[in-house]
Amino acid sequence: MKDLEYGSMNEETVCGFSRRDFLKFCSTLAVGMGLPLSAGAKIAEAVTAQKRPPVLWLSAQECTGCTESLLRANHPTLEKLILELISLEYHETLLVGSGKQAEEWRTKSMKEYKGKYILVVDGSIPVKDNGIYCKIGGKTVMSLLVEMATDAAAVVAIGSCSSWGGVPSADPNPTGASPAHEVLKNKGVKTPVVNIPGCPPNPYNFLSTVLYYVTFKKLPELDDQARPKFAYGRLIHENCERRPHFDAGRFALQFGDEEHRKGYCLYKLGCKGPETFANCPVQLFNDVGSGAWPVGTGHPCFGCTEKGVGFTVPLHTPARPKYLTPPSLFTEVYPGKEGISPGVKALAAGFAGAAIGAAGAAAVTGLGKKDDDTKDKGE
Amino acid sequence: MSKRITIDPITRIEGHLRIDCEIDGGHVTKAWSSGQMWRGIETILKGRDPRDAWIFTQRFCGV
Repeated sequence: MKDLEYGSMNEETVCGFSRRDFLKFCSTLAVGMGLPLSAGAKIAEAVTAQKRPPVLWLSAQECTGCTESLLRANHPTLEKLILELISLEYHETLLVGSGKQAEEWRTKSMKEYKGKYILVVDGSIPVKDNGIYCKIGGKTVMSLLVEMATDAAAVVAIGSCSSWGGVPSADPNPTGASPAHEVLKNKGVKTPVVNIPGCPPNPYNFLSTVLYYVTFKKLPELDDQARPKFAYGRLIHENCERRPHFDAGRFALQFGDEEHRKGYCLYKLGCKGPETFANCPVQLFNDVGSGAWPVGTGHPCFGCTEKGVGFTVPLHTPARPKYLTPPSLFTEVYPGKEGISPGVKALAAGFAGAAIGAAGAAAVTGLGKKDDDTKDKGE
Repeated sequence: MSKRITIDPITRIEGHLRIDCEIDGGHVTKAWSSGQMWRGIETILKGRDPRDAWIFTQRFCGV
């Protein structure tokens, strides 16, 4: 811990930060990844000791929201750190040169840093009609991805579009929008891919992943969808500050109703927190303090990080809770909906304590899931 | 005799832009600009719950 006592640090600056702020920043990232505090010093060492890792950024079918999210991280002068921490060799939105110059710099960097650079991809890859729906410098982004990923050390797919398809892949997916890892797999490219989904993703999830790689020369532990476990290991529902309201059965039923104004649970407005894996309630956005995330501002989570939920399930359709089934005594999502007689509802609710009643109520209210998920597998 | 030049990609803007122009005697005589990316969000919006529209339209551009 000695090396993390900031008090005695001098005015020396690292990457434009005071040494004290720089170490603080690295330690915060380390803790965010679930690493011991001492890893912060290691990250700081790795960042300052070696040549900055080259990063090439390929934009496909994107809206630049991921870049904006990264650049607008309100941690003071974070953009300075990003620009001085990594060596950003190619990024369409930020590159000074255009046209031929941009293309020349891209190929030059790829050659110079062959096998060493990190390729960041934002946006989905259109594969329909030979990929004509997105082109850069006359080449399809599909061919550019294969070309650039082949010589990369690792690929980081930032945002839901490049992680699982995102907005462009929504039904009927007019352009055959596909995630980066799928295109690479189909083309036989073996470069490891890590997915940082979110629309936009939290910039710290991206930064932490890149810094982890720079420090430990390997990717952080990933789940079955290649997402870093430190960021996507838990459901939003597990860390939500409104969770006590859910457990107590206190719900907002309409925007602006008394329950909504009181900050009750948004489950019945369609909140997808119970089926969405992300660290939004913990990491928050924009460094402005508590409540700075969608549910914190009173809007249901719509599952932007989660394949099969975000841009797929309608906003106000109730979530299909993973692991946690709400008690069957909860009031219905749509009270008074036609087709279910009040008698059946009362009967089901009346037997709610017994197994048969619980199943019946779940079936009537539509809250149950098909498989047995009464146990809290998520701990 | 006119000469045609193409600049693709145009950088420091959001999205994928390409500019073609014809130059004659030091003057641009004709010019074309084209977006090099299409997602079909209008097509995606068809048939959806109108309350969901903003989720998609908001993402035309993230800037």
